[in-house]
Amino acid sequence: MLEIGYGEGGVIFFAGRFDAAQCARAQAFVDAASDPRVFDFSQLEYISSAGLGVLLRTQKRLQASGVRLKLLNVNNHIYDIFRYSGFDQLFEVTRQGT
Amino acid sequence: MEKTLKPKGLTQEELHWILEVTRRLAAPCDLATVLSEVLDAATGVLDAEAGTVWLYDPTTNELVLQVSNDLEPIRIPADRGIAGACLRSREMINVPDCYADHRFSPALDHATGFRTRCMLTMPLVGHDDSLVGVLQVLNKRDGVFDANDEAVANSLRAHCAIALQRVRMTEKLVVAEKLRQEISVAREIQIGTLPQSAPAIPGYDLAGIFHPTDDTGGDTYDFVPTADGRLMILMGDATGHGIGPALSATQVRAMLRLAQRLGADLDDTFRHINDQLVDDLPDDRFVTAFLGQLDPHTHELRYHSGGQGPLLHFHARELRCELLTPTTFPMGAVPLARVSPPRTAVLAPGDIFALISDGVYEYQDAQNRLFGEDGVAQLLRREHARPMQELIGVMMDALAGFGRGAPQLDDITMVLIRRLPESPATERAVAADAGARIAAQSFARSLDSLDPIFAFIRDFCEAEGLDPAARTSIGFAVEELFTNMLKYNAAGRGAIELQLACAGREFVGRLSDPDSERFDVTATPDARVDLPIELRVPGGLGLHLVRRVMDAVEYDYTGRCSRISFRKKLETS
Repeated sequence: MLEIGYGEGGVIFFAGRFDAAQCARAQAFVDAASDPRVFDFSQLEYISSAGLGVLLRTQKRLQASGVRLKLLNVNNHIYDIFRYSGFDQLFEVTRQGT
Repeated sequence: MEKTLKPKGLTQEELHWILEVTRRLAAPCDLATVLSEVLDAATGVLDAEAGTVWLYDPTTNELVLQVSNDLEPIRIPADRGIAGACLRSREMINVPDCYADHRFSPALDHATGFRTRCMLTMPLVGHDDSLVGVLQVLNKRDGVFDANDEAVANSLRAHCAIALQRVRMTEKLVVAEKLRQEISVAREIQIGTLPQSAPAIPGYDLAGIFHPTDDTGGDTYDFVPTADGRLMILMGDATGHGIGPALSATQVRAMLRLAQRLGADLDDTFRHINDQLVDDLPDDRFVTAFLGQLDPHTHELRYHSGGQGPLLHFHARELRCELLTPTTFPMGAVPLARVSPPRTAVLAPGDIFALISDGVYEYQDAQNRLFGEDGVAQLLRREHARPMQELIGVMMDALAGFGRGAPQLDDITMVLIRRLPESPATERAVAADAGARIAAQSFARSLDSLDPIFAFIRDFCEAEGLDPAARTSIGFAVEELFTNMLKYNAAGRGAIELQLACAGREFVGRLSDPDSERFDVTATPDARVDLPIELRVPGGLGLHLVRRVMDAVEYDYTGRCSRISFRKKLETS
C-alpha cells in the first residue's frame, strides 16, 4: 500500500510501496497539490518505473517556473533505481542517513 | 438409326429363333461365348454354313477376327474388302458370288480351305451409334441369301451389336479393376518402404509424411541412422505419377540403404545413386532428391539437393523462413564425375529444416490460387513450436482449409527436422541443483494482481531465507516484466504464471504468458538516461532497469508462449 499526505512545511510524504497499481492515485494527489516541490521518502520502501513516471511528470510541470524537485531521505533501493535511470541528475536527491 | 425392314414372311420358326437368341445374348458372359452365340444364331436362323464376326478396333482402325482363344487374332485394315465397304457405308451387303466380286479377298479361304460362295455382310452398330464390327454369314445351304434373309439378318444384327458392345465394356471394366488392384499392391510395397516412425535423435524432433494423390505416387523419404550417431535423410520425387515413378522412388531409397550398409559417405552415396539412375531411367525421366546428413552434436546438416527445392530453413530466433535452392541437377539427368562439396545448414535451437514437396507449395484452391511459400512460412511462424508430427497435421488441415474441397493435384511429402529449443534458465538451473524447489503461481492479467504477486514473492523469500534487498530486486523485476505483459498483451488469454526458484547461490525467476505475440524483451535497447529533462518522457525504463537489477534476462518463445527468465547471484551472508 502507498500512503501520501502533507507533512510539516508543505512537504508531501510518501510511505509504503509505490508500484504500478498506485501511480494513478499518486499522480492525482500530486497534480492537485498547489506547490509540490519537496517529497519526503523516508517511509517509502519501494518504487518501480511507474512511480518514476509520476515524478518525471511532476518535474516537467515545475520546470516552467525553474523549480527542481527535492526528494528527501531516499533509501538504497530507490537511490539505485534513480541512478540507473539518470533521475539522480534530474532531481535534488538526498539519501537516508545523510 | 438404321432403316427398319418389315420382317415380311418371317416364319414362326424364324421368329422363335430370334427371340431365343435375344434371350441368350442378354445373359452375362465373356466375349468368346457371346461371339459363339452370335455365330450360332446367325448361321442357324439364316441357314448358313459358316459365319465370321469382325470386331472394329478404333484405336488402330482395323477389323479384328478372333479365330480361337489360342491363336493371335487376324487383323485387316478397316477399309479393306467387303467387310471394310460394309463398315464404311454401314449398310448390309449381299454378294451372291464372291469370286466374281472384286472387293472379295480369297486369302482367308486359302488359309482355311473353306470355299466362300455367297456372303451376307452386315454392320454391327451399337446403341450409341458407334461401330462395333461386321457380321458375315457364308454360303446359304441351298442357294443364295434373298431379301427375306436380309430382313431376318437385320432383326438379328442389332441384338448382336448390343450384346457385343456390352461384353466389351464389361471386359474393359474388368481390365481396369485388375490394374487398380495391381497399383494397390505397388502402393502397399511403396508405403511399406517409408519409415513407420522417425528415429529418436536426442535434441531433435523429426517427422515425415507421404500423402499421394492417386493410388500411388513418385515420392519417397527415409531416415537412416548411422553407427557414428549421425542421420541420413532422404526426400525424393520421381517425375510423373503411377507405378513407374513409384518404382524409381523406391529404387532410390533402396540404393541409399545399401550405400549406408556399405559405409559410403554422403558425397559418394549421392554420386552413385545419381549415376545408377542415369543408367536406369529413360531420357525423359529423372528424380529430384534431397540427401542430407545431420550431425546432432554439431547441429550441422550437410546436404546435396538434386533439383529438390525450395528447401526451407526456419530460423526460430528471428521467426524467419530462409528458402534455399537445390545444389545441383535432378538425379538421373547427367552423370557426375564428382560432386561439389555439400552445402551446410547450421541449426540453432528451435530451428526447423523443412523438406516440402511441390504438392504443398503448389496446392490450389478452386480459383487456382497457390498455397505458396508465404502460406508455408506463415504457418511455420505461428506453429513452429508444436511437436513436428502435430505440425504436419496442422499443415494438412491448413491445406484442406485453403483448398475448400478442391482436389489434391500432386503428391504431398513433408520431412521436418527440428532442433529442440534449449530448456529455459529456471529448468536448467533447477536441474543442476537437486535440492532446488520451484514455487509457482498464476496471476490474472490485472494491476490488481500486483499485491498478491508481492505477497507470493515475500513468502518465497522468507522460506528461502533471502535478504530484504534481494526481495526488493525480485519484486521490482517481476513488477516491471508483469506490467509490460499487461501493457502489450492485455487481451491475451489465460493467466500469467510466475515461477521462483533458488538453485545454489542463484535466484532464477520466470514469467510465462501462454498466449502472446513474440516480443523479445532482451532485444529492446537501453533507455537514454543522460538526456536533459526536456527530452525525457515517462515510460521506456522498465526493461532497462530490470537488466540492471538482475544479472541476466533471457527470452524464449515457444508456441504462443512468451517466457522471460531472470537470474541474480545471491550475496552470501
